[in-house]
Amino acid sequence: MNRRHFLIASSTVAGLALAPRLSFAAAGPIDVYCGSDKNVLDFWNNVILPAFAKAHPDIAVKVTDAGNNNGLRAIADRGLAALASNTDPQADMFETFDPLLPKGGIEAGLWVKAAEVKGHERINPLAIDSDYSLPYRGSQVLLAYDATKLPAKDAPKTWEQLVAWIKANPGQFVYNRPDKGGSGGNFVRRAIHEVNGRDPKAFTVGNYSEEAAAKMLPPAWELLKDLAPSLYEKGAYASGNTQSIQLLAQGVVTMAPVWSDQVLQAINQGVLPETTGLVQLTDLALCGGFAHSTLFSNGAHKDAALTLASFLLTQEIQEAVITELGGFPGVSWDHLSDALRQKYADVIPATIPTFPSGDWEKAVNDGWYRNVAPTISRT
Amino acid sequence: MVGLTLVALPVFLLGWLIVYPILSAVLETVFPAGENGARALSLASYRFFFSDPYSLANLQVTLWTTLVCGVLLILVGLPIALYLRFSQGRFAAYVQAMAIFPMFVPSIILSYALIRTIGPNGTVDLILNALGLPKLPTPYLTPWGPVIGLVWDNLPLTVLMLTAGLGQISNASVEAARDVGAGPFRVFLAVILPRMANSLLVTASFAVLGIFSAFTLPYVLGPAAPEMMGPFMDRTFSDNNDPLNALTQAVISFGFCLVFGLFYVRSIARNQEGRP
Repeated sequence: MNRRHFLIASSTVAGLALAPRLSFAAAGPIDVYCGSDKNVLDFWNNVILPAFAKAHPDIAVKVTDAGNNNGLRAIADRGLAALASNTDPQADMFETFDPLLPKGGIEAGLWVKAAEVKGHERINPLAIDSDYSLPYRGSQVLLAYDATKLPAKDAPKTWEQLVAWIKANPGQFVYNRPDKGGSGGNFVRRAIHEVNGRDPKAFTVGNYSEEAAAKMLPPAWELLKDLAPSLYEKGAYASGNTQSIQLLAQGVVTMAPVWSDQVLQAINQGVLPETTGLVQLTDLALCGGFAHSTLFSNGAHKDAALTLASFLLTQEIQEAVITELGGFPGVSWDHLSDALRQKYADVIPATIPTFPSGDWEKAVNDGWYRNVAPTISRT
Repeated sequence: MVGLTLVALPVFLLGWLIVYPILSAVLETVFPAGENGARALSLASYRFFFSDPYSLANLQVTLWTTLVCGVLLILVGLPIALYLRFSQGRFAAYVQAMAIFPMFVPSIILSYALIRTIGPNGTVDLILNALGLPKLPTPYLTPWGPVIGLVWDNLPLTVLMLTAGLGQISNASVEAARDVGAGPFRVFLAVILPRMANSLLVTASFAVLGIFSAFTLPYVLGPAAPEMMGPFMDRTFSDNNDPLNALTQAVISFGFCLVFGLFYVRSIARNQEGRP
């Protein structure tokens, strides 16, 4: 066999091997888009997808990383346009998204009602915020600190105590840029809540206007600018959730806001030491929330996506959310095993303040960059 | 005819992937779509950029970073290139391999490696601490973070191009100068440098083009504000959902790069004219 024959033969064989895949691709996998952090993506790839493949070997799933919430917004806009023109949106499900976006999506019937998903009655009523979204996991921002430098009894429990602690310990606190990760983002939002009567209900997806933003946001910028000289490196901001944890792990800072799921995972993996303390503010908790999956009503694989959605609510996946991801379950705790329920009794949240995405999110992020980030003098 | 067919594909790709996007970006920013979709001449987005202190600070830090990196690259690259030009043997080969090595390291890996080494409480700090010396002020999250990363990342290209430029200088002319008693410094100033002008210019324009549009290193290592143009454009486009201003920033960046591109094109053209 000369080289030419070998090439022809081997490419034919390779082509044949590909053939069944191609015909399978015509049926198509469920298109799931995820805008969350890497640990959530890992959770899907390493836990949910293998379990789902075992339970439903006939349904394929493709999870694509959309980068962040804005990536998802662009796809949702396309989905709405596809609904109007009756074409395939090439998306079936979002890992987590706010169904109030894009504007007019609900009225046009873009999203599937959560009641269509089998098992939706098991969802924790605390977690429900709309008829069109399916909360399947939750997490909240906490303050993580090095308990060897700061004894647990002295850890700040209110915003005032936190500010006093930051100023008394210059250089020992860092938070990340609000658009690069929710831990710093929700710290900024907590400052906004602080100057607006600690009332999370003052902000909704619908009530954004430039006038409201011009009135409600600048006091928070003043508050944060006032903190800047006492932050790490007189006002340096980490470029993501993980970078904050890295600074904490390297012993550079004593305290940083962190996502509950990421910090529990970091402690489990030994990235952060066992002596890491966790504390939540008691006057008003830092924001957090449930991740709400949304399903496209016009998706090409809607029925398969419904099966996947109801699979997310099974005891198997909901318990994995706690044990593997370090998050809160989306279903009521009665639907989980007794052992888990008792073990995590302390972290079961009573309420979780939230902050709307959409226009407010944009105004907060850009406002922070323009007003808080540059006003530092490093000398 | 055959020649034309052969270049048709690259020219088509150039037109489709480079010239067309540039023209469309310029047109879309000069004739932005209004509320009702109609296009009208308006330079408002440019006026905004040049009257907005935040945007100008970003442009300024980008120019500063580019300038500092350009100077540092020549200062670091030229001695290595000179050494490689005039030495032979195994050790020179090792030096060359070391100088080329950064080319094969992706910048995202470099960023995290730099955080672990020269970042706060990183390897360098640990070594200093073990020797009883004070810690270094860390460049992480300051404008010097991206400078260090970018110089490291762009060094191979600089060294390669400078070595190629030095290759054009004949051994005979160097030896002639030595024979009449010129010391190494005199040889460098009187013989080598005058004949290097062209390759220095080409090297500098390449480095500048690469650094001006850098994204990963300033994103991970740099401060939150001022941002370099790369991260700024990305944030304007995806976070603020503001394609018009992102395009304007891109056109302005392109304008600055164009100046250095012209230097490069001019020197290439002059080179070709000079050939018989």
